Amino acid sequence: MSMTQLPPGFKIIRDENSEAYSDEFFVNMGPQHPSTHGALRLAIRMDGETIVELVPHHGYIHRGMEKQAESMSYLQYIPMSDRQDYLTAIQNNLGVVLAYEKGMNIGVPLRQEYIRVMLQELGRIASHLVFFGCFGGDLGGQTCLLFGFKEREMIHDILEEVTGSRLTTNFFRPGGSRFDVPDTFIPRVKAFLEHLESTMKDYERFLSKNVIVRERSIGIGVLSKEDAIAYGCSGPVLRASGVNFDVRKNNPYSIYSQLEFDVPVAYNGDCYDRYNVRIAEIHESMRILRQCIDKFPTEGPWRSKEKPVKLNPGRYYSEIETAKGLYGTYVVAASGDKPYRIHTRGPSFPHIGVLNKMVQGLTVSDLVTIMATLDPVIPEIDR
Amino acid sequence: MGIINFAPKILDPIPGGKYVVNAVDYVVNWARANSIWPLTYGTSCCAIEMMSSSMARYDIARFGSEVFRASPRQADLFILAGTITRRMAPAIQMLWEQMPGPKYVLAMGACTISGGPFIYDNYSVVRGAQNILPVDVFVPGCPPRPEALFHGLLTLREKILHETCRNPWQEGYPEDVSRVDRYREAAKAWAELEKIKDEEMAEAREKFKAENPDYKSAFKPVRVVKETFPEVERPAAADLKSGELSQTDIFNAIKAKFESATVDEALLATATSDSPVEITLDVNEYLAATEFVKNDPRLKMDYLIDVTAIDYPDHFELITQLRSIELGHKVFFCIPLKKDESIPEEKRATSLLAKVPSIMQLYPAASIKEREVYDMFGINFVGHDDLRRIFLDKDFVGYPLRKDFTNPEMIKRPV
Amino acid sequence: MFVPSITNPVGDFVREWVPKLAEYLPASIQSDTLNSIVAFLINAVICVIAVCLVNIGSAPILIYMERKVCAHVQCRLGPMRLGWHGTIQTIADVLKMLFKEVYAPAGVDKFVFFLAPLVVLIAPFMVAALIPFGENLVVADIDMGIPLIIAINGFGVLAILLGGWSSNNKYSLLGALRSGAQMISYEISFALVLLFVVMVAGSTNLMAITQTQSGTVFDWWIFKAPVLGFIAFIMFFITSTAEMNRAPFDIAEAEQELTGGYHTEYNGTPFAMFYLAEYIALVTNSSLAVTCFLGGFHAPCIGIAAVDGILTMVPGVVWFFAKVFFMIWCYMMVRWTFVRPRVDQLMSFEWKFLLPLNLLLLVAGAAYVALVG
Repeated sequence: MSMTQLPPGFKIIRDENSEAYSDEFFVNMGPQHPSTHGALRLAIRMDGETIVELVPHHGYIHRGMEKQAESMSYLQYIPMSDRQDYLTAIQNNLGVVLAYEKGMNIGVPLRQEYIRVMLQELGRIASHLVFFGCFGGDLGGQTCLLFGFKEREMIHDILEEVTGSRLTTNFFRPGGSRFDVPDTFIPRVKAFLEHLESTMKDYERFLSKNVIVRERSIGIGVLSKEDAIAYGCSGPVLRASGVNFDVRKNNPYSIYSQLEFDVPVAYNGDCYDRYNVRIAEIHESMRILRQCIDKFPTEGPWRSKEKPVKLNPGRYYSEIETAKGLYGTYVVAASGDKPYRIHTRGPSFPHIGVLNKMVQGLTVSDLVTIMATLDPVIPEIDR
Repeated sequence: MGIINFAPKILDPIPGGKYVVNAVDYVVNWARANSIWPLTYGTSCCAIEMMSSSMARYDIARFGSEVFRASPRQADLFILAGTITRRMAPAIQMLWEQMPGPKYVLAMGACTISGGPFIYDNYSVVRGAQNILPVDVFVPGCPPRPEALFHGLLTLREKILHETCRNPWQEGYPEDVSRVDRYREAAKAWAELEKIKDEEMAEAREKFKAENPDYKSAFKPVRVVKETFPEVERPAAADLKSGELSQTDIFNAIKAKFESATVDEALLATATSDSPVEITLDVNEYLAATEFVKNDPRLKMDYLIDVTAIDYPDHFELITQLRSIELGHKVFFCIPLKKDESIPEEKRATSLLAKVPSIMQLYPAASIKEREVYDMFGINFVGHDDLRRIFLDKDFVGYPLRKDFTNPEMIKRPV
Repeated sequence: MFVPSITNPVGDFVREWVPKLAEYLPASIQSDTLNSIVAFLINAVICVIAVCLVNIGSAPILIYMERKVCAHVQCRLGPMRLGWHGTIQTIADVLKMLFKEVYAPAGVDKFVFFLAPLVVLIAPFMVAALIPFGENLVVADIDMGIPLIIAINGFGVLAILLGGWSSNNKYSLLGALRSGAQMISYEISFALVLLFVVMVAGSTNLMAITQTQSGTVFDWWIFKAPVLGFIAFIMFFITSTAEMNRAPFDIAEAEQELTGGYHTEYNGTPFAMFYLAEYIALVTNSSLAVTCFLGGFHAPCIGIAAVDGILTMVPGVVWFFAKVFFMIWCYMMVRWTFVRPRVDQLMSFEWKFLLPLNLLLLVAGAAYVALVG
């Protein structure tokens, strides 16, 4: 490629006569590449193995969900949220439903609140287990990938029993959910927690203290606190950079204010911290689940009286903390049973926006590590 | 594979030669059918189920297919896992061309069969993989379970076992049927089938009645008691934490500085901490107001949640959502942008209709968000240093999230 | 006179029978020179066939073993459907590869592109010829065994460089360059570890090295030179893993980073050759480890006469391959357990840690030989 004309998006201009410039070349990672986590294309400008500049190209899985939402009924949009971040589908459902509930001015009974929180936390553990697997897998340890997915399958069994679907749950509804949980739900969650408790110990020993993992992730892809806030990062990425921000604590929704849990925060902002924050979050989620099991109301209604899903005209915003970060839903309701506009604020989009800042001067191997710890889901970016 | 394909021509005329060809066929097909190496490729939800299928619980390795190759040159099977968009389609075709023959395509999930949930009112999704590639096996589901994928894999195995080098594998040709509304066609076909079935059932009933004139059904309907649920009130929002400003305080602070700031008084009176009120601002004061809320020590709006827009018939509204990480309050700016009336009617769909200053210098996060608004609404951000389309190709015509957007690929949703 | 030096029972048998059969020929063309040349040629053909059988025959077994070991490490079952527990799965894979379309992508240097998969097989095949598999089972029992192995090993990197360079793909090129740097660096440590064995054993002949380890388990070089032998063995394990480009040191392939590295653009049979070479290298490296450290074809006697009597009843070649498969199993377990280091970490590990340690080891080995040997 001619060096005098840079491809779109590249900005850093160097002195053409300098020696380093003559060695530079462009590499395309994606849209089909094992470690871009989906259909993302990263155009990289490299000097040898060192990355000079990186430009992400989105849109390879842009499915026009927001345009479609305008011709759908409110209920028809809930399955769309499953297909944005499919690793935390059950959490996205809640994000959309909370916005609807504001518009319909409807609450949910206590039992439903517990169901919601428990499924949220199971979804969070499932997503973080996938992260655990992909982190190990992207570093070259294929075995981690399978270990992460192994425990996740047990969560999917529970989700399947409750919602009827493994992945795309489409479960919550304004004022409740599609079904009540079966009687086996609580015992199964309990059994799963017992199992996870012991396996997480093994898994942490497998990766956390591994010398090569530490060498490859400590001090790599450092994201400063200022950058993390300025670029709109959220979730574990933001918390690993030393910002104590969690929607569950800062703007509690559902019954999170009544539950006892900590927000894990790390201060170095490197890959290892992002990994550690996620592992600590698995433990916090387990703590929340245990409290929920103790307090779970066995009696009582599980949903509010059914109402036609029709929002009062106005604009409604809800935000929740998914496993990836801040998931905001902005609904503009006009009269009628269709939304005028629904906009989703996904957590992964800003993370890819800050990627260029993190990888400069590092190598392709580090880029893979950083991509794994940012844990993006591309369909949620492109929508 | 090249030489094998000439074998029948040479051997078949020789007495007994066709048995040799048959034997070779058998061996080659056996090898090909039992060693299907898929390509590591996935775009969305189906990809995660494809991954699950290779994991410990389901273990695709039992069929010898766990060797997922990252390079198309070494793969036999292209599992199209996930929605195919118009932007991705050329890349998929190139990947398919790079695979050495014989190669097979397995379309996984509803999106690759027909467009799935994305069939109506959609401008970017390819409705079915067979529009761009010759597909061997379709696996329905949204997403299909790993078991369904295995069924697809074994179906493909059956298909390969019936191949012969007398009629060797060759590249197929995609059909050109991209705009067919398969849902409606299928529904029509289904209705016809149902009609035939109903007629048959009616006939059978009559026949049964004629044969058994004094038959009485023992069926008694069971009455299911419908559960009733109480109406639950929406809980009041949590109280403000110490140091947190109420929506009224925020509005007053901004109003004191910027004349044009207005707000819906009724909403403001009932506003709580988790339902921020939109403060309408004049576009001229937008940049200054953003700078003010970012730097003001009372507000410290340092975090940009999102920038988005709404299209109304006569104007756009730009929504800028800000929050303070430290203090916990949010503010939503709503900037009405008048559509440029000077642009002639026929050019309106393809031209930028409004402009607004970019806040990218204040919030780096706005860079990609503003590109998205530019891409979807055609709003020009003055001062943005890299204003390109982000999700759509640069030669895409029109701005999809405008209400009057039309695209020849779009099929209207039936009411 | 030209005397072929292939020493094994089969060779002796051929040498014995060729003159006897030659008596049936017309007397005018009978001569001792002709007999010895014919015997040599027959022996050579037998040896080539034997080496090919051992190498090519072991590759499908190893691929099957790798898939099973990998599967069981990952709590899976691995191939199950084809044959008993998927035993003939790799045969289907190999056949399929042979019948796949072979083409060179646009823009590649075709001659070099197709030369590389041939070159990659040279090194492991040549090394296999030097290994004493049993007391009398060695193809070429030459005195300069270890220096020759060190020299031959350089061929591996040549093939990878050729393949990566000719592929006209940036990923391939990166993989080839990484691999070039890695293999050349690790070759030094690899050679130095072997030199340590040469020093303590007092010979460069592989058969002689094996013979120095006769006796009990504690006469093997891994235990015989106290502590030093064990350190040398571990270092040999690390450097040979890097030499073979096997995970965790597979930075040249690095599927997650470079989508396959140097063999990204290869398909069909040429790719199968790369695949094959990887596993043949595994056999030869394990054989080398067994020969140098684990007593070669000697039975693992423990010094109790009754037990040793039973152990030595098993032929040496069986012991040899049992040890080889144990080594291969170790390589596989390491591959499926550890994650991959970065390129620069791998290089600094070699130059800053392994190489100095190796030199120290040589000094310590010299002291050991001076004091004990």
